[in-house]
Amino acid sequence: MSQGFDSVLDARGLNCPMPLVNARKEIGKLDLGQVLKVISTDRGSVADFQGWAKIAKNVELVGQETESADGANLYVHYVKRTA
Amino acid sequence: MSEQSKIDVWSAGELLERLERRDPIFILDVRNRDEFERTRIEGRSPVPIINLPYFEMLESGGKDEMLDSVVACVERDLSSQIPSDQPILAVCAKGDTSVFVAQGLRRLGYTSASLRGGMKAWTEYYATHPLFEDPDLTLYQVSRPARGCLSYLVASAGQAIVIDPLRHLHPYLGLARSASVTITSVIDTHGHADHISGGPALAAHTGAPYYLHPYDAIHPIDVLPATIPSEFIRDGQIFPFGRHELQALHVPGHTLGLVALRLDDRYLFTGDSIFIQSIARPDLGGRAEAWAPLHYRSLRRLLDLPGGITVLPGHFSSLAEADGSGRFAASLDDVKNRNEGLVRLLRENEDGFVRYLLESLPRFVPEYLDIKRVNAGLLAATEEDAATLETGKNACALSQALEASVRKGGS
Repeated sequence: MSQGFDSVLDARGLNCPMPLVNARKEIGKLDLGQVLKVISTDRGSVADFQGWAKIAKNVELVGQETESADGANLYVHYVKRTA
Repeated sequence: MSEQSKIDVWSAGELLERLERRDPIFILDVRNRDEFERTRIEGRSPVPIINLPYFEMLESGGKDEMLDSVVACVERDLSSQIPSDQPILAVCAKGDTSVFVAQGLRRLGYTSASLRGGMKAWTEYYATHPLFEDPDLTLYQVSRPARGCLSYLVASAGQAIVIDPLRHLHPYLGLARSASVTITSVIDTHGHADHISGGPALAAHTGAPYYLHPYDAIHPIDVLPATIPSEFIRDGQIFPFGRHELQALHVPGHTLGLVALRLDDRYLFTGDSIFIQSIARPDLGGRAEAWAPLHYRSLRRLLDLPGGITVLPGHFSSLAEADGSGRFAASLDDVKNRNEGLVRLLRENEDGFVRYLLESLPRFVPEYLDIKRVNAGLLAATEEDAATLETGKNACALSQALEASVRKGGS
């Protein structure tokens, strides 16, 4: 069963730090409890979103997936606003 | 966007030169903490380094934009930790985020630079040092400084042998082209555990035979035969090139099929037996108790060679092991005096030395099982997989010289 979400951020093609910088801004626009789906092509974002969710006070990482599309990997993060 | 064009960007090669010269550098590494724990930049002398992940800078700085957060975070959290009288090098994974960090530092008045291509470029940087050049014989040491891996191209009269080529082929192909020599043999001194060998690919590219001792054509843990074809090396075998030749000496211990290669009484390519300041570990095949006595006898055999022969190892643990020109080479007599493992060996009998080996084993690196599988053709690796498997410095030595002094940034 795939993770539900309320909003999508397409960060494909963006290099570090932009997927995370943009996700932080988008999270601020969500209501408490809502989930942002972030789609990235940057493999490093997987560990970085985990590290970020651990230290940020207002987010929880509720899921991560890797999908393959047209031979390239997509790294998908589901981030919930908690505060 | 003029601010970006104003910041200083160092290539991996420029960074290496500065580290070799012991220039003062302070490093702010903004990768996540796990990556930093696995591998970081180390110098000839301890390099002051702080790890503060960029996402912690974002949260601490609290601004929407990266650059503004860097400025706020550095002012708040780091101003007491970073020096204002020497260059601060910002380092990230691929060299993009570090540009923002260097810009922020510059805005605050620090002298800053960004490492171009980040740790990826540093890890994949190759340095080539000529060790000997005359009309009859040329010898180059090709190193991967971030990983502590060494390889060699030795040539005479238009023919070259490459010893222990590393994963990327461009340094060897470039050397062969510029020296106008043909690579006629490719030799792996053993089945490597710490890095993916460039041997089979270089052999396929050049049409040269790829040589490996048959004992290392079997994965020691899986006990499965390699699917990559190789010409088998036997003890004493001669490898001619031009007007010279290399002779193989079977010296099992680090692996069962390890060979050293001897060029007359001049050079000894030791592979993973004797390094400059340490010796190889005997446990990467999972049978340390059985292999340690072999290692002892092999090291004894090598120590019987003429003391003036130049040791050219397969690894180093610290840039501090290099001579003043960045070359990893020393006479066997010299190595006997400064090598912790050999000093011990010269004092002990076999039982005592085996005990010392078994008591000194470093942490086993789990990735090494898969790297050996890739080298045997038992596992396929994409470029991305290969880069991940090859993270960090090699751990093939019994004792590691830890040069970097490490401090954690932030609260």
